[in-house]
Order: sequence, then structure tokens, then C-alpha cells
Amino acid sequence: MAKVSAMDIYKLLPKTNCKKCGEPSCMAFATKLQNKEIDIDKCPILNTPKFEKNRKKLIEMISPPVKEVWFGNDKKKCVMGGDEVMYRFELAYFNPTPIGIDIADTLSDEEIKNRAKYIEEFTFERTGEKLKLDFIAIRNASNDAEKLKNAIKIVQENTEMPIAICSLNPDNIKEAFNVVKSKPLIYAATTENLDEMIQILKEAKKNGKDFALVLSSNDVKTLKQMAAKCLANGIGDLVFDPHTYPENIADTIDNFVMIRRSAIEREDKYLGFPILGLPINAYHYIMKGENPIENFIQDQEKAAGMYEATIANVLMNRYADALIMHGIETWELMPVLTLRQAIYTDPRKPQAVEPGLYPIGNPDENSPVIMTTNFSLTYYTVVGDFEKDNVTCWLLVLDTGGKAVDVSVAGGQYCGENAKKLIEETKIEEKVNHRIIILPALAASTRGDIEDKTGWTCVVGTRDSSQVGEFLRKNWNKILNEWKEKNDA
Amino acid sequence: IETYKGYIREVQFGKPKSEGGRGKVVKIGGQKALYRFEEPQPNPPVVTFDIFDIPMHGLPAPVKKYFADVMEDPCEWARKCVKEFGADMITIHHISTDPKIKDTSPREAAKLMEDLLQAVDVPFVIGGSGDPNKDPLVLEACAEVAEGEKCLLASANLELDYKKIAEAAMKYDHNVLSWTIMDPNMAKDLNRRLISVGLDADRIVMDPTTCALGYGIEFSINAMTRLRLAGLKGDELVNMPMSSGTTNAIGAREAWMKNPEWGDRDYRLPLWEITTGLTMLMSGVDIFMMLHPLSIKVLKEIGKSLVT
Ligand code: B12
Ligand code: SF4
Repeated sequence: MAKVSAMDIYKLLPKTNCKKCGEPSCMAFATKLQNKEIDIDKCPILNTPKFEKNRKKLIEMISPPVKEVWFGNDKKKCVMGGDEVMYRFELAYFNPTPIGIDIADTLSDEEIKNRAKYIEEFTFERTGEKLKLDFIAIRNASNDAEKLKNAIKIVQENTEMPIAICSLNPDNIKEAFNVVKSKPLIYAATTENLDEMIQILKEAKKNGKDFALVLSSNDVKTLKQMAAKCLANGIGDLVFDPHTYPENIADTIDNFVMIRRSAIEREDKYLGFPILGLPINAYHYIMKGENPIENFIQDQEKAAGMYEATIANVLMNRYADALIMHGIETWELMPVLTLRQAIYTDPRKPQAVEPGLYPIGNPDENSPVIMTTNFSLTYYTVVGDFEKDNVTCWLLVLDTGGKAVDVSVAGGQYCGENAKKLIEETKIEEKVNHRIIILPALAASTRGDIEDKTGWTCVVGTRDSSQVGEFLRKNWNKILNEWKEKNDA
Repeated sequence: IETYKGYIREVQFGKPKSEGGRGKVVKIGGQKALYRFEEPQPNPPVVTFDIFDIPMHGLPAPVKKYFADVMEDPCEWARKCVKEFGADMITIHHISTDPKIKDTSPREAAKLMEDLLQAVDVPFVIGGSGDPNKDPLVLEACAEVAEGEKCLLASANLELDYKKIAEAAMKYDHNVLSWTIMDPNMAKDLNRRLISVGLDADRIVMDPTTCALGYGIEFSINAMTRLRLAGLKGDELVNMPMSSGTTNAIGAREAWMKNPEWGDRDYRLPLWEITTGLTMLMSGVDIFMMLHPLSIKVLKEIGKSLVT
């Protein structure tokens, strides 16, 4: 795709350099807009009637080839799509894949409530980020409109989660609109129910209801025709379900890739919508059939969970913009959430925390001084371990340009010069009555350099930060006393 | 559908009996396109089982339970991988040759290599200990006793005498793993150097480093994707098949650490390795070094479906 240049954008801006957007100039604003780092609404001048035309043009110009579609409510939104490139190294991927968990309307009220609450509260913490689930897919397994409405009500009363309503029966969808309070994701229109579905949704729209619609077919051409028809009927927030086949995942992947290529490389507007993957199919596939990994995992349900997570990870690697799953165990969701976190980190930004001095616990003048790096993965791992193990210390966070310990040792940023600067800037000398720094074992080779440049004594600690608590309990008093004896003498 | 100017080279491991080899032959690479719907994919991805020349008592329990009975004897270990788990290939890590571990001599490593070649008929990846001074000697000695078996010597990198390894490969008919750290330019540089020593480019497999899931896998995704695209676009210095040290995933604390909040390690550990491997598969990797037999089974199955 021919990417718009900052210059093209600049030409349409007011060019007053008034700085109201918080940027030093219109050109700076244009560059940020090009890189999706600022919202177009940040420029108030563009919002005046005089610039209405330019604003429209700009939006057209910068709108991504894969439409950004959202569903949810004011408190919580699931945003899907918005991507501009095939490979993340070319720019970045946007809008981390929302992950939804299904709730069947055949469950008892109590079960629905508990499962919904569990989904809302589920958290897996990594590198200082709370990784969470994003929506609840209410499945009309009963094919009964009353049951569906009841389930929706329970979920809405007990959580703030965005919802997807899953029913192929247009009449039930129509009923559901009577109780839904947010903008739902509707799953799904198929070749069989499309006309009826469009009828019902048009009516809902007239009544002021908003929604996003999933189009489901395993044929890319059919999806395209369905999209064209919906657009002609004024239904524009679309999502594709090109079918997830657990028994032949390669077919699924082929479809995902073809859709995304058509959108990005061919700029095919009718295929420029987010893609929904259904790992939940893999779960049911295993539960209904044989357990293919019985030799390793006898429990069918666990095996199904393994399979489901595997399929989720495959699809996430191939452009899935939203996923619906069934399994809710932590071991199953951990790799999926971690993969999402990895794929959607912005490769343009270093993953770093602010260097400086961080007190851990309530350190005093006798507490140890420990030096790590400002790579966020390193920092959060270390701090997480220390908190779990009740370590009290002064944590010096060295500016290594966001590099891990061994990486920055190899790259030369974990060194005496930088340590000296950090010690001076943080005035750590005024906080403690000793001059000892504990280094990670991976940085043992920098010890001499750091001692020379800073005049502090360095002690090499453990390899992993999870062992530091024990190391300190065993050794810190001895280290401190020895140092004091030597330096008083 | 796209058209590609370039192609990925095909590399062969092992030699058929008809040519005087031990039997099993495995090929990787050879693609002319990114996806099977563009052009049939010639070879399915291959997994090679990691084994070690000394018992690895430090392996996490979910892995150890499969190999505890054979860890004392690398030949038994290899046999089990082939017989029970259907290994296509075996990677022997001669870690005891590390001067800091046992400083086993290259002679002794070569002796073990001979025994291993007798024990099973699948091709081998021959790994050292990671000691830059010792590895070239160990690999050379093992290459000699495995002459003609088209093994993969792991590995040549910029921090050791890569010339010696390339020469051993040429002299004794093997392939070379060209290992760099997540930098496509560095990979190109090392390949150029290996070729300039005289090594045939069709004997190179690239390893741009696999960071485990959660530990920088996004860097690996980028490096591998870029290398594969560059290869298909026609860059003859980086159009070699790629290898991934997927076992790294087991070093991630989310995989090995006991933690009731995270659930049973028996599921968690293989899933972490599977996710890491699959992500590398999607980024273009052709051969995987892995440890847990369940992870290997799942990865192979999905890999196979991508090429048929
Ligand atoms: C990801 C990675 C990269 C990424 C960097 C990502 C980043 N932001 O850091 C990139 C691609 C940029 C990279 C580049 C390089 N890398 Co690199 N990289 C890695 C890799 C795969 C993982 C590093 C990581 O994320 N670790 C995870 C974090 C959490 O670990 P950590 O910071 O060490 O923290 C742990 C411990 O140190 C400890 N700890 C932390 N603080 C403290 C404090 C105390 C007091 C204590 C006791 C403990 C403690 O607890 C933490 C949790 O376990 C490693 C290999 C590996 N380790 O698997 C190679 C590795 C570190 N890289 C290596 C090299 C050589 C390089 C380069 C020099 C390559 C080159 N020639 O260009 C460059 C240098 C770049 C620079 N600094 O300018 C080598 C280093 C070899 C060596 N020791 O000499 C390694 C080991 C690979 C190898 N085996 O060769 N790399
Ligand atoms: S607010 Fe608008 S007009 Fe003012 S500097 Fe920013 S982009 Fe330019």
C-alpha cells in the first residue's frame, strides 16, 4: 500500500503552528498523525467549519485499510482491526486482539453469573501490565429467545463486560435487542439468514440501536458479496468469520491470509474488515471426538484446553483481530495473553522504564543497594520477585537504553560510567551509610569497571532475581559488617 | 497470490543406504513461496529432539519424567526419542566438553558420536557446549567420525573460529548452522563470511536466535520474517532455511516454575514451548530443536497441515 506521507497530511492542516494540539508545529502534528501517535481531534482548528472539508479528506486519507470496528459500552470497548501492514516490523500492529469467553444460555442463572464474574475478574500480571479478558460471548445454545434474553440480563447486571450475542436465529437476535444496553457484536449472518438478518438489523438501527455484525462463510468471495450487501443497506461495522476448522487449521489460515492481503495489498474495501477466529471450535472438536494426545494427557478436558490454546496462538499469528474461546484456566490463557502482549508491542518504542532510584519496601540507611537495568521486562520481573519475597532495598535502575542485563553487558551500557552518573543523580550516598552495590550475576564481568569508576564496592549476587531474597537473608549482614569493619579501620 | 523472484535453498541431512549412509534422510527448505496456496510447499517442518551427553538433573519435572530412565546413557536417550516418540532427527549437545563443566576432550566427544551413529539411523545435529574456544575442536572431531552423514554442525558464529567449523563441514560432508543474534544484517554478514571460506551456500542453515515467548519473541518474529521475505525476494545471501532453538521456551519461568496460581506445569510447560515453536513456524522456521515430546507432536502435526 502506498503510505501517505507526512507532507500530504501537512498540506491539509491549518498550518498556523498555533501549538494548541500540544505539538510544536503543524508538521510535527502531521508526523505524529501519520504514525498514529496522536488523535486527529487534538487539533481544535480542524474542527472549525472552515476546515470541515480538509478534515474529511484527512480522515479518508489516514483511515487504515482494515476498518477499525468496535463494540461494547462506555466503560469498556473492544476495538478490532485498524491495521495497515502485513508484517509488524513494517510499522506496528494496532488494537490488541480482544479475547472473549463463551457463556451458554443453557446454564443455570447462578452458573451464568459466576462464570461472567470470573471472566471479568480474570487477570494475569506480566511485566507490570495486567493482562485481561475482553468480552463475553453469550451463546444461544437453547435457541430459545427467552433464555437468551435472560442470560444477557444476568451478564449485564453483574459485569461491565462488552458482549457478543451468538445466535443464527434472526428472530432471537431481534428479541435480544429489547434487553441489550450496549453496542453488541452480533454473531452471525450466514448465507442462509443474511436477508432476514439485514431486515432485523435495519429496524434495530431505526430504533437507535447500534451493533457490529459478524459475517460467516468459509468462502472469501461469498464474504465479499455479503459485505457489499450489508454496506448497501447501511450496515458498515462488519467483522469476518472465515470459519475456524480445528481439524484443518491450514484452510483457516489460508482464508485469513487471503482476506488480509486483499485488504492491505489490494486495498479491497469490501474485504477491509477485522477477522474473528474461533478457537472454541477446537475445544468442542476434541471434547466430542477422540483425544489425540491421550498418551500424554489423559484428561479430555485438559487436552481440549491445550488444543484450543494452540489454535488461538496460531490464529493470533495470522491476523486474528478477535477470538472467542471456551477454556478459562490460567495455564491455558497465559500463553495466549502473553503472545498478544508480545505481538502488539510497538516495535518503534523501546520497552523501558524511567531510570533512577526506587525504594522497595521501607529501606533505611543499612539496607542493601541493588542495581538492575531499565528494560521493562527486567525491571518488572525483579520488582515482582522482590515484592513477593519481601525484599527491602534501594533499587538502582540503570539507564541501559531499555536493554536486559546480559544484553547491556554485551552492548556496553551496563558499565562504570553509567553507574557513576546514576549514583550522582540519585544522591544514593545520602541515603545509606555504606558504599556497597549488589550486581546481578550476569553482570559479574563489569564489577571491576564499576568499582573503578564509582569507588563503591561491588558484590556479585545471584543469577535470577527470585533468589535474591534468600541471598540477602543469608549474606547481607555479613557483607555489611565486613565492609564496615574494613572501612572504619 | 504473489510471485517471488527468489526461492529458499534446500538442505539435506543424512545419507541414504544406497549411497553408503545410515539410512534416514531429512530435507528442509526448498520453498518458492510463503504459502501453500501460492505454490506447493516441498518439505514439512522438522523437529529434532535435544539430548545431552551428561544427565541433566536440572530439567524441569514435566520433561524429566519422560527421560529420567535414559539420562545416564545418551545412546539409550536417542533410541527412546526415535522408537517411542518418532524423532526425525536428534540434537546431541556435548555440554560436558565445557572447560567449566567436565572439560571432556574432543576425542571422547567423538567416541560418543560414533556410538550414537550406531544406535539410531536418523540424522544428527551436533552441538558443542557454547564455549567459543572449545566448540570448533569438538565439532571438528565429531564431524570427522560422522563423515558423509550430512549432519548439522551447531554452530558457527562470529565469536568463535567459524572458519574451522566451515572447513570441517566441507572436508567431512556436513552442513553448518549459522547463528546470529536477531539481526538480519549480522546473519547476512556471517553467511557471506562462511561462503567466502569456500562453504557451499546450500550447506547453510540460519539461526537468528529464538527468544522465548514473553522474553522478546517479538524480536525473533521480526528477524525471521525479514530474513524469509528477503530470501524469497531473491537475496542469495539469506535464502537459507532457518532453525529455531525452541527449547529456550522451557527456560521461561512461566514454563518451569512451580506456582499454583498458574496451574499445573504438566500443561503449562509444553504449551509454552508449543506457542514459542508455532510462532516461529509462522515466521518461517524450518527446523526446530525441542525437548518435550508432547510439544513436538503438536508442532509437527500443525506443521504438516501447513504444507499439504
Ligand atoms: C532479547 C535479547 C536481545 C534483544 C534486546 C532486548 C532488550 N531490550 O534487552 C536485542 C536483539 C536488541 C539484543 C541485542 C544484543 N544482544 Co542479545 N539477547 C537477548 C536474549 C535472547 C534475552 C535477554 C532477555 O530479555 N532476558 C530476560 C531478562 C528479564 O533477563 P535479565 O535482564 O538478565 O534479568 C534477570 C537476571 O539478570 C536477574 N537480575 C536482574 N537484575 C538483577 C539484579 C541483581 C542484584 C540480581 C542479583 C539479579 C538480577 O533476574 C532477572 C530475571 O531472571 C539473550 C539470551 C537469553 N538470555 O536468553 C541474548 C543475549 C543477552 N544477547 C547477547 C548479545 C551478544 C547481544 C548483542 C551484543 C549482539 C550484537 N553483537 O549486536 C546485542 C547488544 C545490544 C546492545 N546492548 O547494544 C548475548 C550476550 C552474551 C554475553 N553474555 O556476552 C546473549 C546472552 C545471547 C547469547 N547467548 O549469545 N539481544
Ligand atoms: S493545533 Fe492544529 S493548527 Fe495548531 S499547531 Fe497543532 S496541528 Fe497546527
